[in-house]
Amino acid sequence: HQVLRIKTKNEEEVKQLQLLESLEHLELDFWINPSAPALPVDVRIPAASVQSVKAFLESQGIEYSILIRDLQDVLDKEKQDMAESAQRQRSSSFDFGAYHTLDDINEELDHLASEYSFVEKIQIGESYEKRPLYVLKFSTGGSNRPAIWLDAGIHSREWVTQASALWIANQIASDYGTDASITSLLDKMDLFLLPVANPDGFVYTHTSNRMWRKTRSKIPGSVCVGVDPNRNWDAGFGGPGASNKPCSDSYHGPSANSEVEVKSVVDFIKNHGNFKAFLTLHSYSQLLMYPYGYKCTRPDDYAELESLGRAAASSIRSLYGTTFQVGTICNTIYQASGGSIDWSYDNGIKYSFAFELRDTGRYGFLLPANQIIPAAKETWLGLKRIMEHVRDKSS
Amino acid sequence: SLAMELPPSHFSAARAAAVAVGYLRYLRGGPGRGLELRALRRARRQDIDDVGHKYYLELELEDVLDKDRTVSCTAEVLYHLGSRGTAPDVQVTVQGELSSTEEADEEFYHRIRSLEKELVAENIPDSHGNVPPELEPIHLLAWVASGYVIWQNSTENTKFHLAQVKHVKQVKRSDEDLQFDFVVLLHEMVSQEVLPWEVTVLWHPQHGARVPQHS
Repeated sequence: HQVLRIKTKNEEEVKQLQLLESLEHLELDFWINPSAPALPVDVRIPAASVQSVKAFLESQGIEYSILIRDLQDVLDKEKQDMAESAQRQRSSSFDFGAYHTLDDINEELDHLASEYSFVEKIQIGESYEKRPLYVLKFSTGGSNRPAIWLDAGIHSREWVTQASALWIANQIASDYGTDASITSLLDKMDLFLLPVANPDGFVYTHTSNRMWRKTRSKIPGSVCVGVDPNRNWDAGFGGPGASNKPCSDSYHGPSANSEVEVKSVVDFIKNHGNFKAFLTLHSYSQLLMYPYGYKCTRPDDYAELESLGRAAASSIRSLYGTTFQVGTICNTIYQASGGSIDWSYDNGIKYSFAFELRDTGRYGFLLPANQIIPAAKETWLGLKRIMEHVRDKSS
Repeated sequence: SLAMELPPSHFSAARAAAVAVGYLRYLRGGPGRGLELRALRRARRQDIDDVGHKYYLELELEDVLDKDRTVSCTAEVLYHLGSRGTAPDVQVTVQGELSSTEEADEEFYHRIRSLEKELVAENIPDSHGNVPPELEPIHLLAWVASGYVIWQNSTENTKFHLAQVKHVKQVKRSDEDLQFDFVVLLHEMVSQEVLPWEVTVLWHPQHGARVPQHS
């Protein structure tokens, strides 16, 4: 399509243009209609009509110039400019070294999904209070490739985990194509990242109680609210290390998977059917743990998981000297039933690890924001070490 | 019976170490000194018939205000049998000297004494982990106060950390001590509860800190 600017010299020429205007089959779109000789007439002409309109103007001696040679080009460039400007605005305004609200986090997930073609935001369910459970899917192709699961924030007060998950998401996205290890990983496997596994609790830590841990589900027969989502999985459910009292911070809930936040993940993983690793982030204590929590016996793959755990802890330590203790949940922290990595391991996902990030108690849950990026960076090295092993074993 | 070696990463060793650190903070902590566990180097446990369980620990500590320096210490933590209501017996021996805090202590003492209105503060650190620099000494005194509470209330089935100072109020006294009434939130790792605790601490640059009996 072209846009012409027509300069009429007299009334006669204006009348000619008004005649042209009436010819509907030409589908002319006048941006400035012919009205008086002194005023220019701007008209958009569809490609099919360009030649005949120009021929007409020339035969009448009416002066014109080409304002826009190809309108589509202009529109394409404008779209690109707007997208780049929005990107620049977004990426310079999301501060990975600060704590954010749920709305801001969701906005950043949208931004990552729009910026990278291999990143997609999917919804796997809804929380108790009907907030969407958003997962970022990193996939460069294939069909149901072997996959890695990573979640954060299942315990809402552990703010460094949701924050680190955002940094890690951005890092993975920007590393694809530039970092050899991540590129080969995503060329073979898919990655699913749930940065806020407990959005209701997370909002509650912002609005009401910074120390809230559980979900926000109403419990029949109790004035107390919420279930510990990491005691609610179907792995030794109801056993030692979880409370049957609704007011407790480690209340396991009325039944396994009673919490929609847990059930949504269980269903997603089962339906997918091809997960090879299940990794979950908690804070604090600086620990790297593998199953079991619900029983104090070693898993069948103890030797491999212990060795991989030590290698990952070593990678973590290489950056800032931060030491993570490695071991089974039961030996390292306590016996705890109904935990997520016990469920994933007993459901055939061998590489199941739980991280407890910084620190060891000086700030605890209230880790200063200036430690978010260092924590994310060192944790990422540990995760990467595990993922590389999974990639090598899965091909 | 003989003392049995424990892996330092085992939770029972970590819990005993937390008690030792709490006790040491109460004894030696102050507005100018906050001791943090850098590493648990060694742990042994002894089951003593009719008495209880005794842990022998070798710890490496750091001063949060001077992280490049570490100090080693040994500790013994005895949890009494049927330990309802009885605090564990703790002994700690510091190898070498802790750095002097005389100057910082005097400066803090005079600053608080010359306040026109009693100091009041809340949420230390805040939700984002911030502690205003002028409140850091109060934060460290809260460690002293909570160190006492942690020592007094720990069992083999608990591991306490100070999660946050919810509220602190200075109370002016006719004697020379400074008095701070704290409401602290303690995070108990095993149950995962975050519990509020009221505790008063008295402090003086030469006399150190103490928690009065009725607190």
